[in-house]
Amino acid sequence: MSYLASHPQPLKQPSSSLHLAKYAPLFLDSSEATRDTQETWFLYEQLLLASLRCEDDKSAQLCLQRLGDRFGVDSPRVRALAGLYDEATATSRPALEGILKRYSALLRDDPTNMPIEKRRITLLQSLGKPDEAITALTKLLEHSPTDAESWSHLAALYRSQGLYAQSIFCLEECLLVYPNAYNIHARLGETTYISAANNDSETLAEAARYFCRSVELCDWYLRGWYGLRLVTDRMLANCSGKGMPTKIVEGLNAKATEKLAEIVRRASSGEDGWQGFDAGELEAAKELIAQQSIVR
Amino acid sequence: MAEMHNQFVLRDPQLFYWILFPISGVMVLTGVLRHYAAVLMHSDPQKHDMKAIREQCNLLQGINLRQNFNQIPFHSFIVRKNYLVSAYRRGAYLKDPDAVGQPASNPMSDPAGMEQMMSILKGNMAMIIPQTMIMGWINAFFSGFVIMKLPFPLTIPFKSMLQSGVATRDLDVRWVSSLSWYFLNLFGLRVIFNYLLGSDNSAADQMTTQIHQTTPICGANMFAPGQDSNKMYLAEAENLEVATGQHEWVLIEVEYRLLVLQSVCA
Repeated sequence: MSYLASHPQPLKQPSSSLHLAKYAPLFLDSSEATRDTQETWFLYEQLLLASLRCEDDKSAQLCLQRLGDRFGVDSPRVRALAGLYDEATATSRPALEGILKRYSALLRDDPTNMPIEKRRITLLQSLGKPDEAITALTKLLEHSPTDAESWSHLAALYRSQGLYAQSIFCLEECLLVYPNAYNIHARLGETTYISAANNDSETLAEAARYFCRSVELCDWYLRGWYGLRLVTDRMLANCSGKGMPTKIVEGLNAKATEKLAEIVRRASSGEDGWQGFDAGELEAAKELIAQQSIVR
Repeated sequence: MAEMHNQFVLRDPQLFYWILFPISGVMVLTGVLRHYAAVLMHSDPQKHDMKAIREQCNLLQGINLRQNFNQIPFHSFIVRKNYLVSAYRRGAYLKDPDAVGQPASNPMSDPAGMEQMMSILKGNMAMIIPQTMIMGWINAFFSGFVIMKLPFPLTIPFKSMLQSGVATRDLDVRWVSSLSWYFLNLFGLRVIFNYLLGSDNSAADQMTTQIHQTTPICGANMFAPGQDSNKMYLAEAENLEVATGQHEWVLIEVEYRLLVLQSVCA
């Protein structure tokens, strides 16, 4: 449990998933697993997901079984987890299509079953049917327009299809629900940056501003500073003062480089409180700083 | 008045064992009993059907738009505002389009409202019945004497309440009977219940009624029975129109703010 406290999103990185999956058999045999608190069941869910990720089907099956025993197999959430397990252990495409049919039947019986709706959408996506997934997502958002998770999923789908304007729309909807989400601001910056065709100065300036906002909200946000540095590099190379005055762009570029260097230095030297950064991101930041910054 | 300060009532030392502990003990036990009774009688959160969810969430979206519109550029805001205002005005999200103009639904007839009312009623009953019973028991068995002296002074009107069995004119109001010990316990045992039963127990005397969170998807149930959703939509449309004049995109001048902030902090 303390592991989960220090790694609140354990499934984001392979190393923490592996750690959790190794812990799963021990936990399932211990007496802690029989306690009936909210934390225990939350832990069960995380262990289920981590075990599936690391191909430990036995532990996953046991977690699922216990969850079903406690909450009933008909509970929407348990059904969704059972569907997830089946999808992960399915061996052929027809099996996946069968699961899809099962979801559709469940939704016909009970249209309010949100977890199953979401599972169906992800299954459509993994079956390689992004347009159907998008349709299903828009339908979900029609009756639950305040669900930021669905909006950001839709944004990712649009981005994968190259529909950047729609992607930006969806991310803006996320912002309406969580106005101070600096990661969404950074995402918006990234999407705007990618969509800037022909080095259009207005678009690049907007991207730069999104990144500025994200680091204004969160001073040590590596992704924000990295994006700012990238955008300002491109602007200095191509825009010559349109969209944003050159002095400001140079100032932002210098600031971003300085901040990136500080973060890399502090994280690498192992300072207290600077250990949360992802190693891959730090490497990328180091490379970026090593490139000579463009001085006009 | 001088006599009031020096009043001293000789009390039986066995007071503790025979009065204070029993009353406190009984109250703790009834509180625990009440908590478990509430847990057993707890009905599942009611499921809203699709239309109700849709109605609530879309109104929430309008409210979110109004509150956080500074995060998106003006043209995006206008697009959304126009769409939402026109949708609200024509009643696109209403659960029951035919009910427009009719008086708000009576909680007695609306099944969703009924459930909520019943649960609130159950909670109140569970509170009132044990309280009444214990008060009756105390009045029957523990009346006619004072048991303790309050450390703070009170005014004369409290005499009738706190010295119920002892009808003297001169006795200081600070000397109180066992009923006041009951009242003290009523408010003070909350801490003990939190310790014994965890923080969200139903034994502590909750003066504020709780409106259940019954929608797992959309959060607080604003559409309590008796609200006219069409009116709420129209009001929200008005608010959005008014809010248009105050839009200030947070990204304007952000680069200057950032540079100033960084140069100040660096």
